[in-house]
Amino acid sequence: MQHKTIAHAIAVAGATALAAGSALAADLTVVSWGGAYTASQQKAYGEPWEQKTGKKIHWENYNGGLGEVRTQVESGTVIWDIVDVLADEARVGCDEGLFEEIPDEYHVMTKDGMSIDEDLMVPRPNKCVAPMIWWSYMMFYDAPAWEGKTPPSSIDHFFNVTDFPGKRGIHTWPQALIEMALVADGVDPGDVYDVMDTDEGIDRAFAMLDRIKDHSVFWSAGSKPLELVKSGEASMALAYNGRVGAANLSEGATFVPVWDGQVLEEEWIVVLKGSPNKELAFEFASFASAPEQLAGQAQYINYGPMRKSSFDIIMAGEPWFHNGKEILPHMPNRPDVLPRSIIANPDWWADNRDPIQERFDAWRAQ
Amino acid sequence: MAANAIEIPTSASGELLTADGRPLKESLQRSLRRRKLTALALVAPAVVFLFVLFGMPVLYLMTWSVDDTLINEVLPRTFDIYEQWDGEALPPEPHYEAMFKDIADATGIQIGRGSTRMNYAKSKWKSLMKKTKRKIKALLNENPDFAGPYKETLLEIDKRWGDIAFWHSLDIMKNPYTAGYYLNAFDLKYGFDNEIIQQPENRRIYKTLWIRTLLISFIVTAACLALGYPVAHLLATLPLRYSNLLMICVLMPFWTSLLVRIVAWMIMLQQEGVVNDTLVALHVVDDENRLPMMYNFTGTVIVMVQILLPFMILPVYSVMKGISPAYMKAAQNLGAPPAIAFLRVYVPQTLPGVGAGVILVFIVAIGYFITPELVGGKDGQMIGNYIARHLRSTLNWGLASAMGVILLAAILILYWVYDRVVGIDNMKMG
Repeated sequence: MQHKTIAHAIAVAGATALAAGSALAADLTVVSWGGAYTASQQKAYGEPWEQKTGKKIHWENYNGGLGEVRTQVESGTVIWDIVDVLADEARVGCDEGLFEEIPDEYHVMTKDGMSIDEDLMVPRPNKCVAPMIWWSYMMFYDAPAWEGKTPPSSIDHFFNVTDFPGKRGIHTWPQALIEMALVADGVDPGDVYDVMDTDEGIDRAFAMLDRIKDHSVFWSAGSKPLELVKSGEASMALAYNGRVGAANLSEGATFVPVWDGQVLEEEWIVVLKGSPNKELAFEFASFASAPEQLAGQAQYINYGPMRKSSFDIIMAGEPWFHNGKEILPHMPNRPDVLPRSIIANPDWWADNRDPIQERFDAWRAQ
Repeated sequence: MAANAIEIPTSASGELLTADGRPLKESLQRSLRRRKLTALALVAPAVVFLFVLFGMPVLYLMTWSVDDTLINEVLPRTFDIYEQWDGEALPPEPHYEAMFKDIADATGIQIGRGSTRMNYAKSKWKSLMKKTKRKIKALLNENPDFAGPYKETLLEIDKRWGDIAFWHSLDIMKNPYTAGYYLNAFDLKYGFDNEIIQQPENRRIYKTLWIRTLLISFIVTAACLALGYPVAHLLATLPLRYSNLLMICVLMPFWTSLLVRIVAWMIMLQQEGVVNDTLVALHVVDDENRLPMMYNFTGTVIVMVQILLPFMILPVYSVMKGISPAYMKAAQNLGAPPAIAFLRVYVPQTLPGVGAGVILVFIVAIGYFITPELVGGKDGQMIGNYIARHLRSTLNWGLASAMGVILLAAILILYWVYDRVVGIDNMKMG
């Protein structure tokens, strides 16, 4: 494997040289997804933390995945301190020893003295993570397009082209789609992954997908479903809730989210193993994941904080969005929509992704 | 005097010598060598550049398509004694011991990557390996001298260790080099005992994709030829001031961003798009039956033809430009009707350009992936999309590079066929 090591070394040297230049002036490097999401993190806890501690944060963007993290940790040149990761990476990275375990004392308690684990909607998958937000795959339509008609209001309407005609915008991977198909077919959101564990369950999901197959338009970039629905090419589509909410809250769009059957996905922050600023990184993670800060993030973006106590702060403070609009109607983990929401199970997908993806591709290509 | 000036120095053995007394032959060779070295030094940067940034990565990625060494490094003991198991019933204690120790010794990263590979062979290996690794770590922390019983312990950790299918699936991984990815690229796989079997029917996709990729490439090439040939002819025969204008029209799309052109086509061709709106307004089609021309096979072909058209027009044009109009005149003078003169005299002379255009368009088309990704919908996807998907999102690089190698081989075979039928020396880019 000599050649792989060499290739690796070259990659690391290059990355290090590039990153070291820009990160040199900062005390802490925080890596996130860029765009409106990073902006909300900067405003809600980046800048306040810098003011509070007098330290400087260097923000970087990445496209997800653990490739870069692995390279840094394996080569021992850790440049990133904090990384914002999805559910799957949070588990894989901790298992592989790429992240530091965050000591318990860094998890801020709520005002009523609740511990982090009591305050979270789902248990932490491991000790490496600090909570961030929920985002979701959900269906939506444009209000004017359904004027005078009964608009869709639950996930089974998405799979019912007779009563709710028009094309459906769906993404090109099976995650979330299989779950939604099953809930549309009458499976309880809490039982979805048990059903998916059986071959009959998967057949059932694909039978539902067959109903919309000839009415589907596929998207792979997050902005596409909005275009499809706005232009009338699709009468309804699945999308990331953040995109739809942002269009409504900041650009005056008239999209209507349908939360029924949505699939909630986790977002955590982690500290890289061997971070030279480990203590500082723990402090930042602690500050960023505290109830007030997570609530504050919702002033700038419509992702739901993972902590219940943050949600209480938002509910008490409505209208909460920075431009004076109410944020709760755009929050994916609002208590009233939770019973009909599916909480994504990254472990199931880690185990079964390949066969399902292939079957999905075959289904799509036939 | 004069005789002195042309006296030729020779060595003792009669060889010619130069002024400094060296044999002429050697001296000539040396200056020739120097010139060759200079020439080589001049092309060296390009060669090194191509090799380092193109040749090496390509070769390196090609090795991924057969490389299965990683898993052998993670589970050395297990594979060492794997052959001793008859495969009839669950393996005996030594196999469990080997597996236990391999997992205990592997790093977290090795387990992560290894289990991803194992998951290609059988689903649920991933969670099984990770869970076992976690449990073994905890167990050894508590009891560092643990020495069995291994089978019982593993079965306690997870009952899947008692599922013989997991043990069977190890069989295809024990060889550090595998043809498995190539089989996968044709909807085949290894069963137990290395027999080659078909994938389950609802997972078969790649054969269809290969056929469709070839079909799209052929259609696009044929359409480009049919559309491009007359344009090239017009370009070559119009007076200069008109042909310049036409040339700009040909080149303009070439200078426009690929994405801009694709999005423009979306606006034109989608069901709520300009073309359909016009057809509905003209009552050619009714509102309920708008034509599906985007996000399908048709859309992919239309957009690809538009994008690749200049690749056909330009080489054909440059060859046509060099054909003297005198030939056509001579043919007609000798009694050939215009159509016959065109077919028998003009067309054969343009073949080198046509050959170049066809090869160029076809080779570019067969590897396309951005356009089908954006406008292909469900039946307009090509193999390139899946190579990109496996490289970027599923991270199954073995399969991606196997498909890449097959694509490369297909192009080389077609090139060879072309050489046999038309002759590659015939090709002219300009």
